[in-house]
Amino acid sequence: MSDSMIRAIGLALTICCFAGIVWVYSHQPQTFAEATGALTATVGAYHVDEQAFADGFRFFHRDQFAAARLAFDRADPAHQEPRTQFYIAYSYYREGWGRMYVDKVLFTRGLEAINRAIAAAPGGRIVVDDANLQMRSGDELKAELEAGIQAGTEMNPFTILRRQRK
Amino acid sequence: MSRALEVFHVPLLFLTVTLLGGLRVADRVVFVRPPLSALVLAVLLLAVLVRCGAVAPQRLMHPRRSPLENLSGATVMMTMFAASVQAFNSVIPESGLPRLGVVVLLFVLLLNTIAASIDRTHVLRSTAVILGSSFVLKFIVLAALSEPGGGWLKRVLLAALEGVTLGTLTQEPFAPVTGYVSFVALALFLGGLALLPPRYEGDEQALVTARQLRGGTK
Repeated sequence: MSDSMIRAIGLALTICCFAGIVWVYSHQPQTFAEATGALTATVGAYHVDEQAFADGFRFFHRDQFAAARLAFDRADPAHQEPRTQFYIAYSYYREGWGRMYVDKVLFTRGLEAINRAIAAAPGGRIVVDDANLQMRSGDELKAELEAGIQAGTEMNPFTILRRQRK
Repeated sequence: MSRALEVFHVPLLFLTVTLLGGLRVADRVVFVRPPLSALVLAVLLLAVLVRCGAVAPQRLMHPRRSPLENLSGATVMMTMFAASVQAFNSVIPESGLPRLGVVVLLFVLLLNTIAASIDRTHVLRSTAVILGSSFVLKFIVLAALSEPGGGWLKRVLLAALEGVTLGTLTQEPFAPVTGYVSFVALALFLGGLALLPPRYEGDEQALVTARQLRGGTK
């Protein structure tokens, strides 16, 4: 192999590795599945597990939120699919909302999930076609979660007047 | 410097440092982007290494080499700079008074090393001491102070720092693996610096002679 060829291979390898590092620092993947999923999503080759999503959807509408999240996580391990992330965020909202209080930890996780959904959705717009939900857009859900987090205290008797948006 | 070292080993070694330097493991994995101060310190370190002959850019890039060879040489220098930035990113505390103190201390130490104009061996040793002591300060002393439970080291430090508000010193606690990763990154970085082509003893004399010759022909 000629000297020029070896040097060209070395340069290409270095450029690819550097681009990979820049990508890791900008996308902050948490797991190997997230990293590979985000890469495949970049080239449009990422697909959710439809069976797992259907399971999660069924659990969600039976108010089994923890089970629903497990199934949704299985369906979208790389956290790249807006609709699945929307339902995960909604499950945190529904579980964290109480008559007299809001669970800010769950709401914060919900906000993280809806932010992932908005980031992954084309143009940042996410709307789900689900007649059983009162909030069908990512913007509504995000606003509701942010309002819950920004409330002064977790325990607030005035929230008794507020209705949960199912 | 052999071709394999210049084209593959040294750039990939420095890129490994670049990747690991910002890695922090707590309840989640975070790749921390370098602060501006790390870039400034890396420029100073680059100046130290060139001035003291620990690395000779003229051996990596010069007119008699082909454009591709010069590009390889430039890649070595660029990856070395990126690794320097991340090495500092790794040892600079995350926040508060310790961050300010360490940045100022490193800045002064590097300026002092430039002013002293010592030789390659001493510069490499000095770099190891600078980075090593910052590592100990961040991952052993400050980590002990920030530990929620608190061990014997925390009690000793608390006794020594009587009257100091710990709020200004404590850092966000990281998992122990962060320290190990940082240690490996620093060891690789120092190893990479040792592999760089040093300035020949005769380089400066040859430069002076060439300048004199050029001046004489005018």
